[in-house]
Amino acid sequence: MGAKESKTSHFYQEYEVFSKKTEKGSMQHQFSLLAPNHEMALSMAQENFMRREDVADIWVVKRENIYGLTSEERQLLTQRLENKDYRTTKGYGYLRSKWREKQQGMLDEKEIMSWKEVKK
Amino acid sequence: MYNFVEQGGVNDSGIEEDPEKYQKFMERIEAGKLIEADDWMPEEYRKTLIKLISMHGISEVMGALPEKEWTPKAPTLKRKLGIMAKVQDEMGHGQLLLRVTEDLLKPYGKTRENLMEDLLNGDLKFHNVFHMKTKTWADAGLIGWLVDGAAIISQTNMLDASYGPYQRALHRICAEEVFHAQHGEAIIMALAEGTEEQREILQDSVNRWWPSLLMFFGPGSASTTGSSKQEITMKYRIRKSSNEELRQAFLDKYLPRVFSLNLTVPDDTLHYDEQEKKWIYQQPDWNEFKQIISNKGPMSKERLRLRQIAYENNRWVIEALSKEHSFS
Repeated sequence: MGAKESKTSHFYQEYEVFSKKTEKGSMQHQFSLLAPNHEMALSMAQENFMRREDVADIWVVKRENIYGLTSEERQLLTQRLENKDYRTTKGYGYLRSKWREKQQGMLDEKEIMSWKEVKK
Repeated sequence: MYNFVEQGGVNDSGIEEDPEKYQKFMERIEAGKLIEADDWMPEEYRKTLIKLISMHGISEVMGALPEKEWTPKAPTLKRKLGIMAKVQDEMGHGQLLLRVTEDLLKPYGKTRENLMEDLLNGDLKFHNVFHMKTKTWADAGLIGWLVDGAAIISQTNMLDASYGPYQRALHRICAEEVFHAQHGEAIIMALAEGTEEQREILQDSVNRWWPSLLMFFGPGSASTTGSSKQEITMKYRIRKSSNEELRQAFLDKYLPRVFSLNLTVPDDTLHYDEQEKKWIYQQPDWNEFKQIISNKGPMSKERLRLRQIAYENNRWVIEALSKEHSFS
């Protein structure tokens, strides 16, 4: 059955909804919805997806304004180079035992990310 | 949820369409990969998803109707707030699922409006339980406890569904169903520990809803009602278990709880077969089931009428907001 042209055929637009739970959090895609305009989309987003959860911010984006990978391009992402040890700390893990021999601790991610405060 | 019967099967297995694409598609889903809306999919897969998810979505909406009737009649303010929150969730679930269906319908040029028309003219079916009458406050509790309990069994079985958008919707929905289940349990618990009269309306409610609960999972095999989609949904990794396996899981989980509240079910033959490791029960009337889901149930017409009234009465909102009427 073909789509019947009617008043509501062009009424609804597709919006993608993004939100974050906390100030520090990143925006996360939630779901999509149909709404006649941005304002309604924002209000529907709260009704549909944020009835309980904490929410710090919401974006609605018209789906037609999102430019992304095609189905075929996404498949190619699964064929990327697997061994990226040279690019990650995993490839440098042997340093831990080297430093241990010299009675020094490893400056790993946990250690470095803890350097927020220094002595006054 | 939502195992359904349909007249005649879908004959578009994707193999004839494009054997190479079909094989790749099957390899992907068998490896646990997700299919997205813009990925190639066999026609049979698309049609099966549309039937399943549109019925699931519209059943959420139709299910909110008998429940909302209980908002004004709920006994306390807290109960009113609780049931209102639940009704709102059901509408929210409907919105999620209709959205998933709409994206699947795109190649056919169909929209939400077409789905509503299909519902009103009887082409789109909704779940058997929502064709039934509610009589007492115990029914409101029982719907939350056992009808939602049955829905949870069906829906959690599809949490790994191969179709990405449906899987993501189900994860949101099931998280909220936990609240629905406990909301229902709270009503049931108060009645079960209440007065003689409260216990009586509760038992009466279980008695009246029992056949509908068994029917909920659909017939055990296609031979019962003509045809069934369960094999296709399992083949395509949409769900994992058969109708009967799901019904048994429901009985396993819920019957001990029913009995622990000193309630009975209206079936003298019901027992657990230790050897077969399954419940033996009296089959519900599957002919009646067919009648019910063909909109010939006790409340089918009234509920559809309510949906139609809502659709017609709220049309002005669409007109007021539509671009043609906008001055901006």
